[in-house]
Formats: sequence, C-alpha cells, structure tokens
Amino acid sequence: MTKKAKKRTADLSVTITALILGCIIVFPVIYCIFGAFKTRVEFGSYPPAFLPDSFANLDNFKEALDKTPLLRYMFNSLIVACLGTAVRMTFSVLAAYSFAFFDFKGKKFLFLVVLATMMLPGDTLMVTNYLTVSRLNLLDTYLGMCITSFVGASQMFMLRQNFRTIPRALRDAARLDGCSDLRFLRSVVLPVSRPVLLTLCVQSFINLWNAYLWPLLVTNRDEMRTVQVGVTMLTAVGNTNYHLILAAVTLTLLPSFGMFIILRKNIVKGMTSGALVG
Amino acid sequence: MTLQKKNLRRQNGRAVQRAIRRRRQIKPYLYLVPIIFFAIAFVYYPFGKTFLYSFCTVNAKGQITGFAGWENFAYLFQHRNFKIALLNTLKLTAMFVPLNLCVSLGLALLCNQKRRLSGVYETMFTLPMAVPMSAAAMIFKILFNPTVGYINYFLGIQLGWFEDRKVAMYGILILCLWMGMAFDFLLFLSALRAVPDQLLEAASLDGAGFFTKLFRIRIPMIMPTALYVICTNMVLSMMTSGPVMIITEGGPSRATTTLIYMMYTSGYQSSDYSLAACISIVTFLLTFGMTALALVFDSRRTCYE
Repeated sequence: MTKKAKKRTADLSVTITALILGCIIVFPVIYCIFGAFKTRVEFGSYPPAFLPDSFANLDNFKEALDKTPLLRYMFNSLIVACLGTAVRMTFSVLAAYSFAFFDFKGKKFLFLVVLATMMLPGDTLMVTNYLTVSRLNLLDTYLGMCITSFVGASQMFMLRQNFRTIPRALRDAARLDGCSDLRFLRSVVLPVSRPVLLTLCVQSFINLWNAYLWPLLVTNRDEMRTVQVGVTMLTAVGNTNYHLILAAVTLTLLPSFGMFIILRKNIVKGMTSGALVG
Repeated sequence: MTLQKKNLRRQNGRAVQRAIRRRRQIKPYLYLVPIIFFAIAFVYYPFGKTFLYSFCTVNAKGQITGFAGWENFAYLFQHRNFKIALLNTLKLTAMFVPLNLCVSLGLALLCNQKRRLSGVYETMFTLPMAVPMSAAAMIFKILFNPTVGYINYFLGIQLGWFEDRKVAMYGILILCLWMGMAFDFLLFLSALRAVPDQLLEAASLDGAGFFTKLFRIRIPMIMPTALYVICTNMVLSMMTSGPVMIITEGGPSRATTTLIYMMYTSGYQSSDYSLAACISIVTFLLTFGMTALALVFDSRRTCYE
C-alpha cells in the first residue's frame, strides 16, 4: 500500500467513526422530532418504532398548542431574556468604560469586587435571593425573573479588554473638542466594539433563555412561566401523553435551534473567548 | 475693572474649576454604581445572609429569631438525607469530571485534522449545546422510559433507568454528559488546533509516533484548557439539580438527591431556611476547596509557552 492510499483509508475510517458517534449524539434530538409526529397508538405498540408512520401528521402540534399556553411561555421567555440582556449589557458597558478610560482611587479593588461575583455560584445564593425578591414583591414579575442576572462579570471583563484597545489619546482629543464621555461612548466606543457586543449579547440572551431554576422559583402563576419551566410542567396534559410532550418539546426547540444555526459562529466565538479568560 | 472685581472673578473661576475637577473625580464612580449596587444586593448580601442564617435560628418568614452557633451544622451532619445527598453529589462529580474530560478530548482529537466532512460531524457534536436543559431532561425521560422508550429496546435490556435505585444516578450522569460534552469539545478543539505545527512535524521527523506526540506535545500544550474544563465541570456537577428536579425528584428512595436539590427542598418547600443555608455553605466550601486544590496542583506544573 502506498503512503497516500494508507492516509486515505485512515481518513475514511476516522470520518466514518466520527459520523457514527455524531449520529449517537444527535439521536435524542432526532428521536424527539420523530416522536412528535407519532400517534398515541404508535407509542403504545411494541417494539417501539424509530420512524413515525407519516410526517404529515401535525395533529400533535395543534393539540399541544391548544392544551398548553406554549406561545405565552415563549413570549415570557423572550421578554425576560431581552430585558435581562439589555440591562446586563448596559451595566457592563458603563462599568467597562469606567475601568478602561478613567484612573481613580480604589479602581483595582472595585474591579475585583465585580469580578469576584463569578466565584460565588448563583445556585447557592438562590434561597436568600428568593427571600429578597419576595420581600420586594417581585414574585411573578418579569423584573423578578431577571433581576439576579443583572451583574455580568464576564461580560464586563470582556468589554473592558476590548475597550482598552482604543487609545486613550482619542478620548482626550474628543474631550478637548467638547465631546462628553457619554457621547464618546455612544459614537466611538460602541460602534468600534460592535462584534464583541453582538457576541456577548447573543451569549447572554441564550443564557437567560435557557435558565430554569430561578424562573421556576419566582413564578407561581401559570401565565408567567417561562418556556423552560413550562415545558417540564406538560404532565398537565397527561403523564402518558408522550406524543404531546414530544410535540411541545419540539416546538420549544425550534427557536433555540434557529438561534444556534444563525448565530453559531458568534456563539462559539463568544463561549470560547469568554471561557478562556475565566 | 477694579482689583476687587478681578479677585472676585478669579475666585469664582477657581470655584468652577474645583467643581469641574470634583465632578471629574466622581464620574468614574457614577458609571460603576449600577453594577456594584446589584453585585452587592444579589451576590454579596445574599452570601453574607446565607452565612448568617447558617448560625441562627430562622422562622418560616425568613426572620432571624435567635443565635444557634454550630447547632445547625451539627443537626445537618447528623441528618440522614444529608449524608446521602453529599455522597450522591460527590459520586456524580467523581464520575462526571473524568468521563467528560475523556469524551470531549477524545472527540476533539478525532476532529483535530480538517477533513472533507468535518463541518458535518463537528456540527453534530456541538448540537446538544443548542438544547436547553429542561428540554433535554424531558427527552431523556421519555427516551429512557422502560416501556415506551427506545433505549431499552435498542440495547435489548429491561432497565428502569430512572426507577431503579442502583442505576438512577447513572441515568442522570448520561444526561449531564450529553449536555456538557459539546462545549468542552469546542474548547479542546480550538486548543488542539492552536498547537504549533512545526513542533509536531519536528517530533515526527525524530520518529515520534501518534501516542508520543499526544502525551509529550499535545496534552502538555492544552493543559491550561484542560484545567479550565476540569474546574468548571467540578463546579457544574457539584451544582447539579435541574435534571434531578425534572426527572426523578430526588428519588427513587433518595438515590438521586443532590446537595442543591436538598437545599431547594428544605429551603423552598419546607421553609427551613437555616438548614438550606447550611447546605449552601457546605456546598460552596466544598466546591471552592476543589477548585483551589486544582489550581494549586496546576501551579506546580511547568508552563509551556
């Protein structure tokens, strides 16, 4: 066998192995989507079939939408994720600007105060935060659902790193021309760092969209549930209605997959770069 | 203009300048007010309060009624459920961290070289990242169901994955691996691709085989990434609660009760806030200790740049 042929067979075997592994990894998702097209009878039969009888059977989706306020859940999630991202990004931008362009007393200390929030896992603070939020009468409100995620230390850090690449002389020159700091931020700093901003926004949005534990804690009314919480409460349509549950889960996966496909590059970049500084 | 007026104007000018300077001094802090305020209100204050609660008796409304000293902790360490939850969590972490490391590193090594279809299988490997935890838990709940699920039929076994006391934790482990793998795979992939080619080529010329190159060059070069993955995964698996909450609710007979799940049940459902605070402090200290240990271990290692 020549060296080239040997390499080609090695390549082929690696590709085939990778594809098989890939199929195993993707299997649960495919199973969920196929299951959404199955009827109750198909779920009851043994042996369980992998493929549904027909892909034209959309009754499950209709029934799932009828029986559960799925669209309302998605709307709630959208509001919470947008509000949380907007506030978190605003706070992070302001703080990052201050850390990047000003010199002041206690700068290092305050920087550490913000960064150290990453060391305290939110899950361990949940119960006390629940008490605070309930005392503020924010249970079952959109604000209550995202108020604990307003501090984005990693976002702030990434933004500061990015802002530091903008020369300070530029700001001094702008100030001599009578340009205020906020205006400089708005018309120079933000446009220059648009790629990073976009990446961080996407990352933060997905983060909040996927949140489960906290929204579960602070919502009691059904119409305020987010989609991640709502989807696990589908036992309301009957514990054995697997076809309906899978149809609803498939519907909730659609926006997530949409985001994943459109913004894949951004997500990957944001996650890896965000991770490596941590 | 008289001298007096001139002096007055000069004084005014100084006052204005001073005001401007003061404003300039305050400004940096003004930009920081929002983030610091929320950091204190929702991170440091609750942490301090949790600490306080763990040493006090607290009523069902969350008000402190008295000082308890170490009694809460003594009560907690005697608690039967706590021992079970602690062991379960440590067991899960001990299995999850190395397994996840092996699987994600293995997949990354497989994909390291770019091939014709690498785009396809790389996307397949990263797809679980797009699935939110709750959706994944619901899918696995049905997929591993002993009667209608596909896994038992496919493997030809009869196993109540989430109903059997002995295997329930492994079911949770599989779900956690499936969810956590994709991200770490990406981290390893980008780290592996950043290993300089000339090093590997030089080693090849010296007659190094695949495994020599792997253990002598690639793995030492990606150690920083590996350390990051290990640390985040330790924190992640110590905090496991979502899948447990959705699929097993801590059961069967407490076999999947984790620390955070126990904290949730005792704090949120039974309103025993001091017990919940104790669990939270113990979990935090354990996680913190593990991460610190990993970092100390790392600092003894030689650095390759």
